[in-house]
Amino acid sequence: MLGDFGVGKTSLVARFVRSTFSDKYLTTVGVKVDSKEVARAEREPVKLVLWDIAGRNALDTVSANYLRGAAALLLVADGTREASLAAALDLLMQSRALLPDALAVLAVNKFDLLERWEVGAPTLAQLRRLLPVFETSAATGTGVEPAFAAIAAGLAP
Amino acid sequence: MANVGEEQSPQSTSAPSDAADDYERLRELLLGEERRELAAARARIAELERQQGDLPRRLPEAAFSALQAHRDNPRVAAALATPVGQALGEAVQHNRQGVIDALFPVIGPMIRRAIAEALRGLVDNLNGAIESSFTLRGLKWRFEAWRGGVPYAQVVLRHRLAYGIDHVFLIARDSGLVLRHASAAGLPPLDADAIAGMLTALGDFVGDSVGREGGALDAAQVGESLVWVEHGPLANLACFVRGVPPPRLRELLRQRLEEIHVLLQAAPATTTLQECAAGAPVGALIEPLELLRDAQRGDAGAPLARGSRRPLVLFALLVLVALGAWLGERWRWQAQVSALRSALAQHPGFVLGRIEARPWRSLVVYGLLDPDADSPQPLLDAAGLGQASRRLQVDGFVSSDDPVVQRRAQRLLAPPAGVRLAVEHGVLRLDGTAPQAWIEATRARAPLIAGVRAVESSLADALDPLAVARAALERALDAIATHRVDFVREDEPVAGSDTVVDALAADLRRARTLAAQAGVHLDLRSVASSDESGGDATNMRVRALRLRWLALALAARGIDGVAEGDAAANTDPTRRGARVQATVRAQPQ
Repeated sequence: MLGDFGVGKTSLVARFVRSTFSDKYLTTVGVKVDSKEVARAEREPVKLVLWDIAGRNALDTVSANYLRGAAALLLVADGTREASLAAALDLLMQSRALLPDALAVLAVNKFDLLERWEVGAPTLAQLRRLLPVFETSAATGTGVEPAFAAIAAGLAP
Repeated sequence: MANVGEEQSPQSTSAPSDAADDYERLRELLLGEERRELAAARARIAELERQQGDLPRRLPEAAFSALQAHRDNPRVAAALATPVGQALGEAVQHNRQGVIDALFPVIGPMIRRAIAEALRGLVDNLNGAIESSFTLRGLKWRFEAWRGGVPYAQVVLRHRLAYGIDHVFLIARDSGLVLRHASAAGLPPLDADAIAGMLTALGDFVGDSVGREGGALDAAQVGESLVWVEHGPLANLACFVRGVPPPRLRELLRQRLEEIHVLLQAAPATTTLQECAAGAPVGALIEPLELLRDAQRGDAGAPLARGSRRPLVLFALLVLVALGAWLGERWRWQAQVSALRSALAQHPGFVLGRIEARPWRSLVVYGLLDPDADSPQPLLDAAGLGQASRRLQVDGFVSSDDPVVQRRAQRLLAPPAGVRLAVEHGVLRLDGTAPQAWIEATRARAPLIAGVRAVESSLADALDPLAVARAALERALDAIATHRVDFVREDEPVAGSDTVVDALAADLRRARTLAAQAGVHLDLRSVASSDESGGDATNMRVRALRLRWLALALAARGIDGVAEGDAAANTDPTRRGARVQATVRAQPQ
């Protein structure tokens, strides 16, 4: 999970799984790992091991190492801050150098604050042409499960 | 009310007092009950005040009684807990030294008790260690301590302290995903993927923080919990341990990871790491109980690392070689001393007392030595004792050994040339020619020489020609008896036989001359001998050949008249030879 600081990555994970480790690892080690098994239609369920990487708008060496071996990227942006969307896309571009084949899904978070969104529908429509985009709300749970399910569905086998 | 007015008028002087009484009576009528209650209340208040004033004196007993009945009245303790806690906190905050002083008598016993409790377990372990000190395992631990240069107690604790394996994770090196996980029985379930992921993340974090190439997280410890991570090219093995595991467990983990890699690498190319790790062989290799058992087995039996035995074997070999060399040298020294002892025991005129030998350092020989005997010092010098110092310490004595007695007789009698002197078994034999005066003197002195038991003399007067000739003839005959020709086979003489025959011919010639001078007849007869190999007939023929060869050889040197002996007689079955026997007989008148 990649995204700028404060976009709600950890909240999304908390909404999705019951964490084993404390959030303090994000500020100490820079990553927190959780896992959850996700059911898939007409296929074996898959277990997602979620590496919640501490929020930043560019990859440093440590963060880049945490991407090692990743099968998918969940990019998270804050709908109320358009700059966070740009940061998420920057992170995607940087990650592509390390993980050219990894599946990428974008979660535009804080859907519950839709009235304050800076990200417009045309922008989202354009983004949907590039990658799966989900409007999510960690506060209400809206779109969280579908975003992770999309990742699970996109993984082989 | 009217009656009251009437009564007041005649008693005008006492009106105030009456009024007061009336008022009091009225109060009594109206407020009598309340007043009594008020008086009782006052009395109760007074009693309470009195009791309150007495409270400080009664409070300890009251609190003690209340706390004694704590079970029946838990509210007392509950009510006291908060104020007492606050009071203590306040006291610690503002009167720290006072609290320290107050607790001083208590702190010591508390600490001692805590230490005693902690040490009790330690003592139990040490007791076990002491009990096993003289067992095979105890000796092994002692050797381990000696080899590792650590205190024995440390080794004992390392072996005796309990430990347990909670979880074992096999983690893909590239992705950090769990390939296989095993936990000890009875532990709650855990999110193995998340833990493995965090462990991998921590490893990366440590490696990146240290910033060295190839740096990785090998171990992490918090209190009694420990994580050991073994790294492999395809997968890492992480082991969560409680307590103090022995180093051999780590070695065992390394071995297990190597075995797992053998399995992973032997899997078909179409098989993923996850599929291969899901197999039973990998599962058996990371089973915590099996790991514990194998670690214990390693403790009791064969060491896990064969390589670590090599220095021991080498050391043992060196010790054996050194011991063998030392024993060999020691044996050689003893053999040399023993040979020296034998030589000294046979040395004429010396009686060996004792030998003090300090191997390779010194040797002192104590004994008795006759003044006429040779010093045994050359024997010591030739004993091959290397750099060891050698010393001879002797006292004098008179020896009865024949050689020494002969030397003593030689010194005391000073025989002239022409006299032969010999001692055998204490008998002094004298022959030859000498002046008559010396012969007389010797006859008197010889028996007195120490060690001479008897004297046999055949001395002749040097001035009597006949006696001189006979004495010379005796010596010539002795010389003839010493000449013997030896043969290689049949009548083929050994090399140098011509010289022997030449000497024999010369002595025969001289003996004949002396016999003529002495007026005796000399009979010469050749005899031959052969060894016992071959048949009698063959040997007789061989002896005849040798007799013939000697007769011809003497004839060739001008010696005739030597009678050929009987070939049937074998004079010396140990030799292949021929010689001449000479006998003297008186000439017929």
